[in-house]
Amino acid sequence: MSQTDLEIVVDDPTAPEDDSPAVVSSGSVEIVVCLLLLALAVTLGYDNWRTGASWDATGPEPGYFPFYLSIILGGGSLYGLIVALLARRAASGTFVTRAQARRVMAVFVPTLLFCLVTQFLGLYVASFLLIAGFMRLVGKIALWKSLLTALVFTAIMFVTFDIAFDVIMPKGPLEAAFGH
Amino acid sequence: MKAAIALAAALCGTPAFAGWEPTKPVEIVVAAGAGGASDQMARMMQAAIQKNNLMKQPMVVSLKGGASGAEALMYMKSSEGDPNKVLIAYSLIYMLPLSAKIPFNWRELTPVSVIALDQFVLWDNSAGPKTVKEFIDAAKAASSPFKMGGTGSKREDHVLTVFLEQKTGAKFSYLPYKSGGEAATQLVGNHTEANVNNPSENLEVWRAGQVRPLCVFDKERISYTSKVTDTQSWADIPTCKEQGVDVQYLMLRAMFLPGKVTAEQQAFYVELFHKVTQTTEYKDYMEKQALKPIFLTGKDMVQFLEEDDAINKSLMTEAGFVAK
Amino acid sequence: MEALGLLLHGFAVLLTWKTLVLMMVGLVLGIFVGVLPGLGGPNGVAILLPLTFTMDPTSAIVMLSCIYWGALFGGAITSILFNIPGEAWSVATTFDGYPMAQQGRAAEALTAAFTSSFIGSLVAVLLITFLAPMISSFALKFGPPEFFAVYLLTFCSFVGLGREAKHKTVISMSLGLLLAGVGMDTVSGNLRMTFGSAELLRGINFLVAVIGLFGISEILLTMEERLALRGHAASISLRVVLGVWKDLPKYWVTLLRSSFIGCWLGITPGGAIAASFMGYNLAKRFSKDSESFGKGRIEGVFAPETAAHASGTSALLPMLALGIPGSGTAAILLGGLMVWGLNPGPLLFVEHKDFVWGLIASMYLGNVVGLVLVLTTVPIFASILRVPFAAVAPMIVVSCAIGAYAIQNAMFDIWLMLGFGVVGYVFKKIGIPLAPFTLALVLGNRAEDAFRLSMIGSGGKLGVFWSNGLVGSITTLAIVLLFWPVIDSVLGRVGLTQRTRTTSP
Repeated sequence: MSQTDLEIVVDDPTAPEDDSPAVVSSGSVEIVVCLLLLALAVTLGYDNWRTGASWDATGPEPGYFPFYLSIILGGGSLYGLIVALLARRAASGTFVTRAQARRVMAVFVPTLLFCLVTQFLGLYVASFLLIAGFMRLVGKIALWKSLLTALVFTAIMFVTFDIAFDVIMPKGPLEAAFGH
Repeated sequence: MKAAIALAAALCGTPAFAGWEPTKPVEIVVAAGAGGASDQMARMMQAAIQKNNLMKQPMVVSLKGGASGAEALMYMKSSEGDPNKVLIAYSLIYMLPLSAKIPFNWRELTPVSVIALDQFVLWDNSAGPKTVKEFIDAAKAASSPFKMGGTGSKREDHVLTVFLEQKTGAKFSYLPYKSGGEAATQLVGNHTEANVNNPSENLEVWRAGQVRPLCVFDKERISYTSKVTDTQSWADIPTCKEQGVDVQYLMLRAMFLPGKVTAEQQAFYVELFHKVTQTTEYKDYMEKQALKPIFLTGKDMVQFLEEDDAINKSLMTEAGFVAK
Repeated sequence: MEALGLLLHGFAVLLTWKTLVLMMVGLVLGIFVGVLPGLGGPNGVAILLPLTFTMDPTSAIVMLSCIYWGALFGGAITSILFNIPGEAWSVATTFDGYPMAQQGRAAEALTAAFTSSFIGSLVAVLLITFLAPMISSFALKFGPPEFFAVYLLTFCSFVGLGREAKHKTVISMSLGLLLAGVGMDTVSGNLRMTFGSAELLRGINFLVAVIGLFGISEILLTMEERLALRGHAASISLRVVLGVWKDLPKYWVTLLRSSFIGCWLGITPGGAIAASFMGYNLAKRFSKDSESFGKGRIEGVFAPETAAHASGTSALLPMLALGIPGSGTAAILLGGLMVWGLNPGPLLFVEHKDFVWGLIASMYLGNVVGLVLVLTTVPIFASILRVPFAAVAPMIVVSCAIGAYAIQNAMFDIWLMLGFGVVGYVFKKIGIPLAPFTLALVLGNRAEDAFRLSMIGSGGKLGVFWSNGLVGSITTLAIVLLFWPVIDSVLGRVGLTQRTRTTSP
């Protein structure tokens, strides 16, 4: 098998990026992340305050450290929020361009589906579908190669984990039909 | 719960081998970390079963010590109907639901058998006081409270410490470590003045002459009379009652299956663990770790569990460890 | 010298064909479980433990310790090639190892990792051989305040290192510490931050988070940047290996410092993770060119690997001498010893001399044989990089999921991994550093427990952290390191003024 006919992505980082419009700027993402972290800090802070966040006779209570940490986290994200808001007026870098977003989604969406399928059909069926599908649809690799690779890899995983080492993976109706 | 008791009642005679056998590797779920007493026991059983060919399928030890063992309890609870998981349980099945409000009740699981009772011993550093009386006097006279090491918080070790305080009037500050092994080394290193470890947890440091057993928290002395150290055997340790401190506590070691398994499946495991208790591996282990042999199943086991539960509940309530 | 004689006797016991074959089998199995993410050291050894039940104790321990060596060597492979640390202490290896692989220097990075593992372990074994009795009494000196001081030292060696904006480091570390606290609090036995969820009861497992943060997010980034895993430029040959070895003497300070840190933290239980981070941080801090760390610097592979393995190996000492395992894998080995009726503890060295010295001798042999074995197989591992990305990417995703699931057998962890993958991707893009986050997630709980136990013990007095020479000097050292940038600049100014004075006529 020669290397070149299988190569599907440009492996030169210096290759010119195609001219693609920005989807969202780094500044906006930073603002959203800071807001989310702030919300998390408030939620956790409240929960810890309820658990008990004072310093009693035997030292700090269970919520003591987490409570102050949530305050620190809140402070940090608030500061980050202000910095990001101020910087927004100035030119802010691109978080992701449309072409990049498309490529990220091309791997993220299959991964998400993979997790979903694992939940219902078990890990081995899901991994077969993911590998075969990804190689065929994203990698544009010949169908037979994709199916064969997926089958071999999944089979190796199955033999290694479920048979040789007794590590039990989530399984679904297909495996059940074969008595596993 | 009723189902479990009914099942157990149906089995109270001699458990007949009903023909069911596991077709998958059996997971033995340990509600504690690696190297602890439960883990050691699980590995002993794994070895005993494998060496004596007691089961066709392999047995896998699965450590679920997260959240002080609550992880294992929730795992068993959620595995309803799965006959390939057995829990090796101890007093946490009564205590954790009380202290941490874990939504768990041992009656939702299927009891298989009680296989041992574990002792508790009061230990101090070998450079410390030599008798219980001297120890208590020293604790009372100390300017800052004596430090008592133990495993976990609001659990058996902690409860025992509170009862020692109540019975003697001495004050202790209780240090909850992650494992009995850690509590043992911390005592040897003089970072604590005493601990209430199980015999197995302090065995090696005792044999090395680094700690001294003061008394055992039971009605009677431990029965093993062969020498453990140069001069002493387990039977030489006085009971706490003899020494004027009337505190008693024994901890069960029992096997459970998840809820809603069939009677045949339950019968298989009753038979299996009965065979395990006949092996030399089990017998050696019991003596070495100074465990009290016992084998209860069926109705006897349920009755034992109910009584034990009541005792633990009252102790926890008195100690003020029940979460509101 | 008695130790030497006993050691030679140990070698004599081992040098039979049967044991050598067992050794090779153990090493190959070990590398195999080490490479599979999710199996890793502790799980691998646990799974293979029953294989040895039917052997005699010496053969069994030779086999197991070789599995252990193999797993240690193997763990570095996934860290460097795929940015997926198999073990907590491999995290620091990814910082520079993965960039090196991306630059086509995978073979060099792997050689460096294996070689430094070898050096670290060797130093630790030497230490075990000659200082066993002394060291075990040193480990006993560690109570809660001392443990806290060590963790503090690790954290302090980290703060102020990054080039990132300070508030981002603060966010990263506090978030990590917060998530570390989720679940049951050991000291009080209460639940916190679980919001009544049974899934959160377990807490957030460190490895699940790391697999997501590093493994999954890396796939996303790689796709975005249109980078393939670039294996073409990696010329793998004996020349690379010898090249790395020739440069070795240049890094003797780093190697020595990391070995020392590793041994020191290894015998104080639970230190391997702290050791790898501290080894990395100190190498970076004392380097003249600390900016180039994290961009594929070979020293950034040497430092954490040497420290982690020195520590992983010396962790066997407290296990044998005191019965306290210093690492997860050591804990499983401990269980194995008990099955064969050998009780680790102070008397093991007296009552089972043959066994102990056989084990130590097998550490030497296993280490040497293991190094040769992994080095000769480097080309095979590095050739994984030549497989097309469209095939490797989904396989990595599957391996990550298997790894995340196998840790606690929980489907929830696969979702958690995916979540952390997204978090890792976003954080990397907006410059929130991940290293403080992971460090906090690993050590946060232990540090807090140690602090609170110290407080209970001392009745709430902070003076306990200066109550004796040992804890006092560690705490002071930690604070010095925390303010090192300030101290350094003051010293620098003094030095500068002196220099100007001498040069002026």
